Amino acid sequence: MEVAVKLARAFLAAGAALALLAGCGGSDDGSGDGPTEVVFSYLWAGAEAQALEQVIADFNASQTKIRVKGVSNPDFQKQLAAMSSGKGSFDISDHFGNGVGAWASKGILAPLDEYIAKDGFDTADFVPSALEQMKYEGKTYSMPIALHTQMLLYNKKLLSEAGIAAPPQTTEEWAQAIAKLTKRDGDKLTQLGYANAEIGTSLTTLGYAFGGEWFDGSGKATPNNPGTVAAAKFYVDNVPGKYGVGAVRTFTSGFGEYASPQNPFYVGKVATVIDGEWQAAFIKKNAPQLEWGVAPIPYPASRPDLEDTTQVTTSTLFIPANAQHKAEAWEFMKYLLGKEAMVKFSHALANLPARTSLLGDPAYADLPQFDAWLQALKSPNAKALASTPWAAQYSTDLNSAFDDIAQMRKTPEQALAAVAEKTGSYE
Amino acid sequence: MSKVTARRQLQGLAFASPWLIGFTLFIGGPIAASAFYSFTDFNLFQSPDFVGLDNFRAMLDDERFTRSLLNTLYLTVVGVPLGLGLALLVALALNADVRGRALYRAVVYLPTIIPIVVATYLWRWLLNAQYGYVNRIIGVFGVDGPTWLEDPAWTKPAVVLMGLWTVGGTAVIYLAALQDVPAERYEAAALDGAGAWARFRYVTWPALTPVTLFQLVVGVIAGMQIFAQPYLLTQSRLNQAAGGPDDSLLTYGTYVFQNAFVHLKMGYASALGWVLFLVTMAITAVLLLSSRRWVHYGS
Repeated sequence: MEVAVKLARAFLAAGAALALLAGCGGSDDGSGDGPTEVVFSYLWAGAEAQALEQVIADFNASQTKIRVKGVSNPDFQKQLAAMSSGKGSFDISDHFGNGVGAWASKGILAPLDEYIAKDGFDTADFVPSALEQMKYEGKTYSMPIALHTQMLLYNKKLLSEAGIAAPPQTTEEWAQAIAKLTKRDGDKLTQLGYANAEIGTSLTTLGYAFGGEWFDGSGKATPNNPGTVAAAKFYVDNVPGKYGVGAVRTFTSGFGEYASPQNPFYVGKVATVIDGEWQAAFIKKNAPQLEWGVAPIPYPASRPDLEDTTQVTTSTLFIPANAQHKAEAWEFMKYLLGKEAMVKFSHALANLPARTSLLGDPAYADLPQFDAWLQALKSPNAKALASTPWAAQYSTDLNSAFDDIAQMRKTPEQALAAVAEKTGSYE
Repeated sequence: MSKVTARRQLQGLAFASPWLIGFTLFIGGPIAASAFYSFTDFNLFQSPDFVGLDNFRAMLDDERFTRSLLNTLYLTVVGVPLGLGLALLVALALNADVRGRALYRAVVYLPTIIPIVVATYLWRWLLNAQYGYVNRIIGVFGVDGPTWLEDPAWTKPAVVLMGLWTVGGTAVIYLAALQDVPAERYEAAALDGAGAWARFRYVTWPALTPVTLFQLVVGVIAGMQIFAQPYLLTQSRLNQAAGGPDDSLLTYGTYVFQNAFVHLKMGYASALGWVLFLVTMAITAVLLLSSRRWVHYGS
């Protein structure tokens, strides 16, 4: 009997120790001496993360009460999972503007209005459309740290080799250019005039460029309209439909990583792409020798009113509802949103600043081609996806439809009509 | 119950308690919770709403559910028997009396100790349509290899192929079983004039059937839950939810994960989990029932 009692005691003790450990997990709340540690988990990685760490170091040096620890975690799924526990593993993080509604509606994000009001933080300087996207049912759940626009990037050398003097202005000119810029060796492709349109942002941008809309004014999803179909058709007709799905698939399967010197645009495998302003920094770092240019996204010749169409996306900062140091996280967020830090950060990453007063800042002058993306922000045809509770579902369905279209398993009409059918059950 | 038996009972329970406590806390609890959540609309963040059988009804109209189940069945029905067959062949070869046998055995087993994530990333490059070694080897025979990871018709064969790389683990178990077959039986069979095939068919194979049943059941259970390989092969930038080209690598496991942690439909994901459990149970029961016809125990 003695043995059993001893054993039972031992297990009780072990159990108590376990409970204690569980209770203590991450309760390093800094209530003692020294600064409070605020964990900043961000989606940026590589060179962008390094630039961000500089801004964090500046903040840590500027005061003694809060110590921010940056953690690079470029993984949507991990980020979300971390916010589902009782006690959060990070206090501040970043995401994209069209995801605000989804997370706010589920109680994942902490509202910021209280902090904004308490500190009298002036939000009037932020680009209005971006700020509007940060709200859900009247409350502010995120703040814009940077904006992005999409433009047509072209390889100058490849264009001049093909005898094309200027970048295409209309989609008709672009179609001709794609044909001239695509090269084959036997039935194998060695160069494509335009590629990877099925990437979400590229095809949604193209949809806008053809006069399509992905949402109606009331925030309902409208994936299937003449403009979106025309955009998808444009890609199919000029790339996979023309050169063969198999040939395009084989060629694109050999493409290198996006954020590396092997990016197919940098190495001349692709002559034109639709991409964002961060390429000003990416190309400088990964392909300094590349001769490249930026042009507005082409519009159909019959629709001059669609000139200068672009898609605006927003990088946001937010505090999760389960954050353990919300007040301190807000202090840090306020710092990042300040003019000085925002210029430094957006310049290092070559992102567009979210403050109106910084749009003409001379600090950006040394970034190659950056001005083109900055100007696009002012275009009357700058469009943005609505922030809805079901944004992630819509984006998953659109991406799989874009894949069906690019691989020609379905016609654009069929694929987009199928998404339209699904949108009815979004909630 | 006498005093002695009672004490022994207690002692036994005490010794088993680490497992009992662990099971109750970390496995039993979540199982019970998922059973409850399967009847609710639950997004992980706000309190669940009871919805009765809605989640189960929703599966009937969910084409991605059907897709994921069929993809998973494909990988299991094709992958597991193929793996067992190859493992058996490898074991038979390793059982042959050749020089350096121990070395071959070690080499065959080696791939199984490589972490699955590393192995999958490695295969992603081996299977690259343009630069991968797999297509280069196929090219030697004058055949253009497929675009393994981009063509929906080839993604599942690619995963099966990756699975075959680790047959070493199964082969080693087969090898142990082979060495258990009494030599007298082979001698007796040889005296009766049995050839190589007859010796395998009537002596070796019956002795291997219990091990085969075990490996089959374990393989099917693991196959129905396959997650890591398709998850890693279909990963996109920032790890957004993906199912590979035409959802051809959307397996049941990845679909459960996406519903739970990407679309935050934990109620639906729990219901999916229970359906998978029932399907796996049913398949296992069929296998065990069939085993009466083909598994031979003892002599």
